[in-house]
Amino acid sequence: MRYGFGESSKAWILKAVVALLLFGAGGGTVRGVLAQDAKPDPAGTATGDKGTVVDATGNSFVVPEPTDKTAPDFTANKKAFEDYQAQAAKEPLALKVADDVGHLRIATNFSWTLLTGYLVLFMQAGFALLTCGLIRKKNAGHLMMLNFAAYVFAFLAYYAVGYAFQFGAVAINAAPSNIGGALTLNHFLVGSGQWGFLGGKGFFMTGPAYDASSNCLALFEVVFMETAGYIIVGAICERITFGAFLLCELFIGALLYPIFGCWVWGGGWMSQLGSTMHWGHGYVDFAGSSVVHGVGGFCAMALSVILGPRLGKYGPDGKPRAFPAHNIVFVVSGTFILLFGWMGFNPGSTLGATDLRIAVVAINTNLAAVAGSAAAMLLWYFMFGKPDITMACNGMLAGLVAITAPCAFVSPTSSVVIGVVAGVIVCLGVLFNERKLKIDDPCGAISVHGYCGFFGAVAVGIFADGTYGAGWNGVGAASYLGKAGQGVTGLIHGDVSQFWTQLGGATLMVVYAFGLTFGVFSVVNKVRSMRVSKEVELTGLDVPEFGMLAYPEDAVEMLATGSQAHQGRA
Amino acid sequence: MKRIDAVIRPSQLDEVKQRLTGLGVTGLTAFEVRGFGRQKGHTETYRGSEYTVDFLPKIYLSIIVTEDLVDPVVEAILEGARTGVIGDGKIFITSLDEVIRIRTGERGAGAI
Repeated sequence: MRYGFGESSKAWILKAVVALLLFGAGGGTVRGVLAQDAKPDPAGTATGDKGTVVDATGNSFVVPEPTDKTAPDFTANKKAFEDYQAQAAKEPLALKVADDVGHLRIATNFSWTLLTGYLVLFMQAGFALLTCGLIRKKNAGHLMMLNFAAYVFAFLAYYAVGYAFQFGAVAINAAPSNIGGALTLNHFLVGSGQWGFLGGKGFFMTGPAYDASSNCLALFEVVFMETAGYIIVGAICERITFGAFLLCELFIGALLYPIFGCWVWGGGWMSQLGSTMHWGHGYVDFAGSSVVHGVGGFCAMALSVILGPRLGKYGPDGKPRAFPAHNIVFVVSGTFILLFGWMGFNPGSTLGATDLRIAVVAINTNLAAVAGSAAAMLLWYFMFGKPDITMACNGMLAGLVAITAPCAFVSPTSSVVIGVVAGVIVCLGVLFNERKLKIDDPCGAISVHGYCGFFGAVAVGIFADGTYGAGWNGVGAASYLGKAGQGVTGLIHGDVSQFWTQLGGATLMVVYAFGLTFGVFSVVNKVRSMRVSKEVELTGLDVPEFGMLAYPEDAVEMLATGSQAHQGRA
Repeated sequence: MKRIDAVIRPSQLDEVKQRLTGLGVTGLTAFEVRGFGRQKGHTETYRGSEYTVDFLPKIYLSIIVTEDLVDPVVEAILEGARTGVIGDGKIFITSLDEVIRIRTGERGAGAI
């Protein structure tokens, strides 16, 4: 039986939606009263004052009063504090100007974070075009609807609970100070201190999360979650029912993505391993090779295993058959849109334009992209005699996925190396999945996002050169490896512990994303098959699932060639 | 009256059409078709898997002419459509009983 919206399920869905909305509206007021410490600032007028003024290396304009009398530099700090106080008393106008500077600094960073967030949002159009071009014509409408509905439903799931699970405690260990700190999000639902496992504030983005700083963060982070949500489409399309797909999206938006995201970006336990266990700078993933792409890729892998290959993908001899892309123009333009969007994905992850490392990040991201594509084109040429256009595109995405974690910590040359390795991984990964594992992945999502995401996370531990990220995850703010200002450092620059942390963390990501998805959806699939019927798959999913074709002018041809569909021509 | 059908390469359609209109052929119908002859298609690889393209795209021309034009038309098609490589196509000639122009109801050679 497939997931359809029968009469009884319609009523059930309505009831659930009403209940959720009531909970959300009520929850806001209750939590508003409970928030004791920092106050939310929905108007944005109290975010950014002299307290947020810092110089280029992060030194604060306001000198705080030292409290720990046993600290070795207490006397010096005390003197600095007194000097600041004396100066401030003499120049009240300077303090007022500092308030404006602080507000402008936050405003600059808001603009950057929001605009790069909009770029990431536009990646959804790129994904839709890329995946649609790669599949057969008869399922094009269905695939576009999957892409569209993914945005809609995963967003709502993230709004309801996902954001709170991921960032509900971000202010404790990982306050995004560039955009005002989101200080009201300060409670772990599971765990505490440096061993947090699940955030616990900001459900329905109300109460403590009804705040300008928090909403700026939320906009940027929700489009990242959507990226993970889209990735799965490439591996499960052409056979999954719409209902089952929506369940997958709710699962990703509410649970799978936010939980791992909390561990790494929400100030959770993995990010704090540097402080707690002295393992490098803790687990470091700058913009999400593992948090976004790896999780999406291995979730896609689990779903693809559960669904099984498309009908006719493997012949009676077990050999894979080609189902050629139906629109190469979509594939290439989609890839370019993704590259463009990635200029938001990676440089935007500083959450601030006042962090001038954004220029290095942008160059590194582009270099890895072109290196990955070049490697894939050349490798394919030597293996099969012609470069494959779709693999050239996959190669570019592979480079992008792999550079996403290390982009801020490595040099341009390292970025080229990372891109080349990713370009090779994606080609071999596609062949390995198709020929050895016999997992049917129409768009190469598992190889691009899963395998290259894993590699990208490990690459931080290999290539990070220590020029950026001093004090990352609260480690080595004063000095690291005996050097002042030393940032995140990898294997070849002298920090072996960072390499092991990255390797362990990335491995955990694989086990987590594949394991949880496989566990949950094996059960779901037993209750109701997540796959369309054989007849529907052969004629194409567009009309049976949505009552219309992507290309209505092909209706006659479609019906005529439906019987040949299993040979991959329609 | 004769009906001349020709299966040709899509790339040669313009050449053939120019030669035919030069001869005074008044009408010409072209279909986009797919098919194979002795050549039996060819194989390509897509993302590492081989696939056979056994139905190749061709243009199917249908021309109705009076007896005196048959030889020049065949000559024109041969000249225009021939590249010398396998897959140039074929010409079929059949006799035609009647032609009727729908607008006027005319019959026979005058209706062509």
